[in-house]
Amino acid sequence: MNPDTFQKLDRVIHEAGRMAIMSTLAAAPELAFTEIRDTLNMTDGNLSVHIKTLQTAGYVAVTKSVQDRRPRTTCSLTPRGRAAFSEYIATLAQIVKESKTS
Amino acid sequence: MNAQHAEQNLAVIRTLMERSALYRRALGPIFLVTGGIGVLAALAGLILPMESRAGFLGLWIAAAVVAIVVAVLMTRRQALRDREPLWSAPARRVAHAMLPPLLVGAALTAVVGEIFVVMPVWMILYGCALHATGFVTPRAVRWLGAAFMAAGVISLAIFGIWYSARAAAGLMGATFGGLHLLCGLYLTTTQKGSNGQ
Repeated sequence: MNPDTFQKLDRVIHEAGRMAIMSTLAAAPELAFTEIRDTLNMTDGNLSVHIKTLQTAGYVAVTKSVQDRRPRTTCSLTPRGRAAFSEYIATLAQIVKESKTS
Repeated sequence: MNAQHAEQNLAVIRTLMERSALYRRALGPIFLVTGGIGVLAALAGLILPMESRAGFLGLWIAAAVVAIVVAVLMTRRQALRDREPLWSAPARRVAHAMLPPLLVGAALTAVVGEIFVVMPVWMILYGCALHATGFVTPRAVRWLGAAFMAAGVISLAIFGIWYSARAAAGLMGATFGGLHLLCGLYLTTTQKGSNGQ
């Protein structure tokens, strides 16, 4: 198996919590902060920290708005985030493929 | 990381993507319209009591066809507005979940003669169909399915003792009309955003 393939894994995404957030966001145009929290059974604090990391990397866009006089925070993948996630999945698939051919 | 870990990660990603790919059409207005059709059909059944099997089936199958056509047109309109495919992955999952109980319902309708059996069977199987979509639709839809199933069981118990064409029309109106309207009202007032989520 080629060790370089492992090096290609995006370290920002390659963490259980952040990988879960990216996976959840990849299947929807946008999701409310609370929807992600409930889907992944995360605490507000834990989710905030991971979202911040992904936002800093330019992978996730966060929008704050007011709906029915209540604050609403929605998250979505940026084009850069979507590309990085596709690349991450392709790398995982390549690792699996290489292990089967070696 | 080894290959097994990579494979596990891919499985987790697939599961999470499927879970978050919710059916994002606004079901509230659709339920309001289908509920309205149910109420109109029930009124027709009350005014002109359908004593015969053919009359009862004709009225309610026609109402169901109209409701399905209107629901598909409303869904298509929403999909076009949101620039999303009508036959999306969640839409396919909704169809796959609903189809088996609805086909069983159609088959039983063809072979069971008594209206007082057919009607509760429709409620129970339609409830099963709605409940089966609950993994990709708002939680209220699963509750609506449970309400239909309960109504079907209660109808079965009532009609085992006593049956009249007017009572049948009233119960059909209360369930296919009233329950849809209640759920539609709830979803319309609670769902957020343009796509209803």
